[in-house]
Amino acid sequence: MTRSSAGLDLLAKAYHSLLIGCGASSVLPDWTSCLSLTWLGKAFQTATMKHYEVEILDAKTKDKLCFLDKVEPNATIGEIKSMFHKSHPQWYPARQSIRLDPKGKSLKDEDVLQHLPVGTTATFYFRDLGAQISWVTVFLTEYAGPLLIYLMFYFRVPFIYAPKYDFTTSKHWVVHLACMCHSFHYVKRLLETLFVHRFSHGTMPLRNIFKNCTYYWGFAAWMAYYINHPLYTPPIYGEQQIRLALIVFLFCQIGNFSIHIALRNLRPPGSKTRKIPYPTKNPFTWIFLLVSCPNYTYELGSWLGFTLMTQCLPVAAFTLVGFIQMTVWAKGKHRSYLKEFRDYPTLRSPILPFIL
Amino acid sequence: MPSSLKARTSGTTELLYESFLSRWLVIAVGLVRAYLARGSYHGLYYSIEKPLKYFQTGALLEILHCAVGIVPSSVVLTGFQVMSRVFLTWAVTHSVREVQSEDSVLLFVVAWTVTEIIRYSFYTFSLLNHLPYLIKWARYTFFFVLYPMGVAGELLTIYAALPYVQKTGLYSITLPNNYNFSFDYHTFLILVMISYIPLFPQLYFHMIRQRKKVLGHVEEYSKVE
Repeated sequence: MTRSSAGLDLLAKAYHSLLIGCGASSVLPDWTSCLSLTWLGKAFQTATMKHYEVEILDAKTKDKLCFLDKVEPNATIGEIKSMFHKSHPQWYPARQSIRLDPKGKSLKDEDVLQHLPVGTTATFYFRDLGAQISWVTVFLTEYAGPLLIYLMFYFRVPFIYAPKYDFTTSKHWVVHLACMCHSFHYVKRLLETLFVHRFSHGTMPLRNIFKNCTYYWGFAAWMAYYINHPLYTPPIYGEQQIRLALIVFLFCQIGNFSIHIALRNLRPPGSKTRKIPYPTKNPFTWIFLLVSCPNYTYELGSWLGFTLMTQCLPVAAFTLVGFIQMTVWAKGKHRSYLKEFRDYPTLRSPILPFIL
Repeated sequence: MPSSLKARTSGTTELLYESFLSRWLVIAVGLVRAYLARGSYHGLYYSIEKPLKYFQTGALLEILHCAVGIVPSSVVLTGFQVMSRVFLTWAVTHSVREVQSEDSVLLFVVAWTVTEIIRYSFYTFSLLNHLPYLIKWARYTFFFVLYPMGVAGELLTIYAALPYVQKTGLYSITLPNNYNFSFDYHTFLILVMISYIPLFPQLYFHMIRQRKKVLGHVEEYSKVE
C-alpha cells in the first residue's frame, strides 16, 4: 500500500468512527465503505486500486475461454462467475466450477479475488458441472411422490389389486394408522424443505433427481403395495406391538424435527456459516452430547418404529438401505466437523452413540 | 497394485490359470467323448454336469482377482458375467430338471467352454510373457460368434424353464404370510430375460472396442516369442 493510500485509510477510519459515534452503525458495515462516501475518496480509490486481469481456461483442454480485464480486487468468485456467464450464456453460474488448479478443489462463491494466491493476472480453470437443479426442487419432488403414491395404494385405486377390491378399505386398523404415519412423515418433510432447512449448496446435478426419485418413489410403491394389500397380515403381537411402534415413531419424529430446528438456528438467514451444534433447552437435542448427526439417528428410529408397526419385509429393507446411506453421510459430516473445528467434542459418534 | 505383490502372486496366479484352463479342457474333452460315445448331442449336459457346476462356481474367485488387481478387467463387468453364469448354472439349469435335456443348454455350455479355454490360455500365456498372436487374435475375434451363441442358449433355456417354474411355484413366496412379502420367480425370470436387451449390446460393443484397441496396433506388435 502506498503512503497516500495509507493516509487515506486513516482518514476514512477516522471519518467512520465519527459517523458511528453519531449512530450510523447499522448503515456502515466497515470503514472501507467510507472511502466511497466522498467523491474525493472515490476518485482516490479508483486511482490507487490495482485492477486484476482474469483469464479463465478450460481445465481439460487448457483452451482460453474468457478474458476479463479491469476486475476489482474485492470481486468475489461469484461475481466472476456472473461475468463469465455473460460471455458464455450456456454456462450459468451454478454449473461453473472455478479452480486455481485444473485438478484442484472448486473455489467458493464467497472467496475474494485479492485474498487468493494469484498475481494481478489471475488464471482460473473452469469445469462444467453439467445441468443443475435446485435442492429445493429435488426435495419437493422426491417427497411429494411417496406421499401421493402411498395414498393411491391405500385407497386401492384400480389396476393395483384384484378388481373386487377397488376403492375398498382395509379391515385392519393398523393399516389406517400406518397410512397416517407415512403421510405425516412426508408432509413434515415437505414443510421442512419449504420453511426450515437452510441449504449450503443451491444446486445439485440434474441426473440426481432421476436417481433420487426412483429410490423414494420405487420403495414407497413397494412398501405401500404390501401394507395395503387385501391379504395383509397384521403384527403378531397385536395391539402391544403397534402401540410400542407408534410411541417410537412419534418420539423420533419429534426428535428429528427438533434437530432440524436446532440446526436451522445455528445459521443466520441467507448465510452459509458452519458452527458446532450443541444441546439446547429442548430435551430432544440433548442427544447432541453423544452424536454428530442426530437427525439421522432419529430418522432411523422413525423407520424402525414403522417397520415394527407394519411388520413388513420391504419396510425393513427400506430402513436398512436408508440406514446404510445415512451412516455414510453421517461419517462424512463427522469427519468434516473434526477437520474444521479443533475443539470438537470427543465423546460424539457419527450416528449411533458409542457404536458407529 | 504394488509391483512387489504382483511379483509374489504371479507364480500362484499362473498356476491358478493353468488349473482353470485344464478344468475347462476337461469339460471340453468330456463333451467330445460323450458325443462320440452316444452318437448324438442330446443329454450331453449330464456328462459334464458336475465339473461345470464346480468350475463355474469357482469362477467367483475371478471377481476377487479383479478387485485385488491381478487381472486388469473391470470388477463390475467380470462380476456381472460370473453372476449371470452362476445364476444360469444353479438357479435355472440345476433347479429345473426338465430343461436339462434341452439343446439350448448345450449351446451355452459349448459357448462358455470355448470362450473360457481361449481366455485362460490368454491369461496364462500373458503372465508367462509368451503370448502367441493366434491366442490374442482368437480371444478378440471368436466372441463375435460365441457371445450371441451363449446369449441365445441362455435365453432359450430360461424360456424353456418358465412353464415348469410357474406350474410348481419354484422359489416363490405367496401372500398371506407373517412378513407381508411376496416373490414370483416366474416374473423374475421374465425380467431377467428382458434385462438382456440393454445389457448384452453394452458388453458386445465393449468387446468390439477392446478389439480395436488391442488388435488395431498390429503393425507395432510383432509375434511374441
